[in-house]
Amino acid sequence: MVKEKKKAADIEKEPKKMEKAASSANEISDAGRRNFIKAMGIIAVGAGLALTLRGVVQSIIPPSVGISGFPTLTLVDQSGNPIHTSSLKVNDPAIVAFNYPLQNEPNFLLRLGDSSNNDVAIPGGVSVSNPGGSSYASLAGQGPYKSVVASSAICQHLGCEPPNIRFYPPSSSTFPGLIECNCHGSQYDPYKGFGVVKSPTQFALPSVVISWDSATDTYQVSNMIGPTIHGHSSDLTGGTPLTSTSSTAIYNVT
Amino acid sequence: MFKNRKERENLLAKVMNEPQLIPRRVPDYMRKEGGIWYWTGALIMIAFMYEVLTGLLLLFFYQSANPFASSEDLVNSVPFGSVLLSTHLYGAYVMIALVYLHLLRNYFVGAYKKPREMQWLTGVLLLVLTIGAAFFGYAMIGDVLAKAATSIGSTIAGGFPYLGNVLISIFFGNGTSISLYSRLFSWHIVMVLLIGTLFAVHFFLAEYNTIMPARKEAHYRAPAVDTEKPDYKPWYPHNLIFMTELFFFVIGAIILIPSILGIMNDVPIVFSPFPAPANIVANTPPWFLLFVYKELDFHFASDLLNPFWATIIFTGMPLLYLLAIPFLDKSVTLRISDRWFVVALGVLGIVYLVGLSTWAYVYGVVFPTSLVPDYQAAMFFFLPGVAVILFTYWAKISDRTNRLHLERPELFFLVLTFLGLFSVITGILAYESIVAYSNFGAATLAASVTITLVLAVVSVAIVLGIFNPGREKTAKPAGHKARVAFASLFGISAVFIATEVSFINPVGAVNGSYYGIGLALVLFIMAGITKLYRAEVLGE
Repeated sequence: MVKEKKKAADIEKEPKKMEKAASSANEISDAGRRNFIKAMGIIAVGAGLALTLRGVVQSIIPPSVGISGFPTLTLVDQSGNPIHTSSLKVNDPAIVAFNYPLQNEPNFLLRLGDSSNNDVAIPGGVSVSNPGGSSYASLAGQGPYKSVVASSAICQHLGCEPPNIRFYPPSSSTFPGLIECNCHGSQYDPYKGFGVVKSPTQFALPSVVISWDSATDTYQVSNMIGPTIHGHSSDLTGGTPLTSTSSTAIYNVT
Repeated sequence: MFKNRKERENLLAKVMNEPQLIPRRVPDYMRKEGGIWYWTGALIMIAFMYEVLTGLLLLFFYQSANPFASSEDLVNSVPFGSVLLSTHLYGAYVMIALVYLHLLRNYFVGAYKKPREMQWLTGVLLLVLTIGAAFFGYAMIGDVLAKAATSIGSTIAGGFPYLGNVLISIFFGNGTSISLYSRLFSWHIVMVLLIGTLFAVHFFLAEYNTIMPARKEAHYRAPAVDTEKPDYKPWYPHNLIFMTELFFFVIGAIILIPSILGIMNDVPIVFSPFPAPANIVANTPPWFLLFVYKELDFHFASDLLNPFWATIIFTGMPLLYLLAIPFLDKSVTLRISDRWFVVALGVLGIVYLVGLSTWAYVYGVVFPTSLVPDYQAAMFFFLPGVAVILFTYWAKISDRTNRLHLERPELFFLVLTFLGLFSVITGILAYESIVAYSNFGAATLAASVTITLVLAVVSVAIVLGIFNPGREKTAKPAGHKARVAFASLFGISAVFIATEVSFINPVGAVNGSYYGIGLALVLFIMAGITKLYRAEVLGE
């Protein structure tokens, strides 16, 4: 213990000894000058660090990718032929999805029905429950029975994607007529503009604007309304553009 | 005695002007039975070395453009590929578990006190970095679990005020798949490099400050520093061979666990050593982040806070506490009974961590999840909190008045921790059985009640001194002939196992797992023979 104290005392003396040596070697050194040189040194190091840091930060942020406007695309099947109403099943238990407007933005395509699988006309114009943002009017269903709707398939809570998040038909016993995400239990109502039924999600699923051409019985998507798609700073950035500029293909998620 | 500030100023001067010979010699008791507690840091280093080595090999196979396919290909068609990938995963799991063990051990013995404050701080940072590296490694595989982890991780990062989108693009790229996976890959390696660098500092400080001696040796007072005595054995061969034994043992365990899981069917996806199949529905986070998953489920957290702030509060508060503890608890005493409140908070931390993780696993992964109402969350934090603090205080008072015979406090606290945990689980299961009865629920409730009761009995027995080493051990050390016999048996077995295993075609998950089991057994034999050698030649 005594020895340690002695050592410690030596260490304390050390800088003072150095000071003495310095002042005897160079008589003009005093505290003011020393501190000035120190301060200049710190400023120079700061400038160097700032330059380096700027370079590192700028180089590490990737350039953003995306597109400049919402394209109008025809919904097609895997072989590229436009889909018709008959190719969509009412309350399809399989997950039917398409990507829009970017490749990593999957959307549900639903043909909604009641518990005996008859088409249900979706009126539109309902105020959508969107607690985290402002509410907005829902879109009307499309197609001959006004029952086809589409929304982003990325959960607005933490970004889980199908099959973790999926639509449960009205005949299901677990979440009848709801879109539920099994990551943290968020629920949305596709019959009322994909509004929030149960938190933790604070935002409705963004709706895809669909139009139906009665002459050819084909469907086109042309815009998104509601909150921004989860995980994107805007719907149009943060992903690879789709390969085709005229169509987007529907696919099943298992 | 110095003031704290001066001492910190002098740390560099001390280290540079008073260099110490390292590695330092250590007292014999650190290599005897129970001495393993002085080497938990060394165990982490071994696991880290294994991770770096297997990681370097894995670099040859990973393709950022094709993460899932390249991982599947590695497991299914590259010879030894499944051993490589599954043991790299489990090496990380073992390392994380050991980091927690190391942290808790040093917390309870008070190793964060003078003069080891800087060591403690670097250690807490190393915990964060280790979990960070593990997260990126887990996410870069690109299976369904990794995708869920990525989306949740980026949502949490995106909640950062003002900088959210910048952080997302820095850590998770600009949305294209190639940029996502090349970034996860790069950050994984950057994190490991940071671990390596900070670890060097941590290790050097540990050598400089000496391994914390038994508290009894330091008369239960900080600073507890080991001063070398003439009878300390030299590092070579005593410690080197001891380290070798630990090395064989840790690597053996790292290889054995995933290999056994690899030949079992129906391993829960959270413990599966291989990438998840493409066609499953799963939302399991990695086990070491399950507690974060549960935090996001709390009603008040999800309604009042966004995921970023919920994470900051629930993981940030304990971290802040750990960073601050050397400066909050500056008393010189190292006695557990004098530090009862610090000890109570430590036990509580374990109960919360393990409790939240188990809760998240059972209600979230096994059963569908739903939001946790505020009163349940309040009960989860409040009840064990009050119970543990009151109980620790009672234990302290009883210890003072000599009504207790707590000669093995570490065992007692270990049992107590599990008792607390299982009480919580029992409570949740009981609640669930009342709300929605199921046979499975009733069976798990019965099991949980039984375990709780057994643990309660054991903890009472420890307090009453039933397990105390009252008499000296009567078993004689094995004789020279026995050692020779054991060694030859071990050696022959090693050759036998190696021969058997060499007939396996090491391609694919199952074959790879059998190979891994063989390899692990040989490693355990190597550890055993090393132990025999130490006993025979070094008398340890």
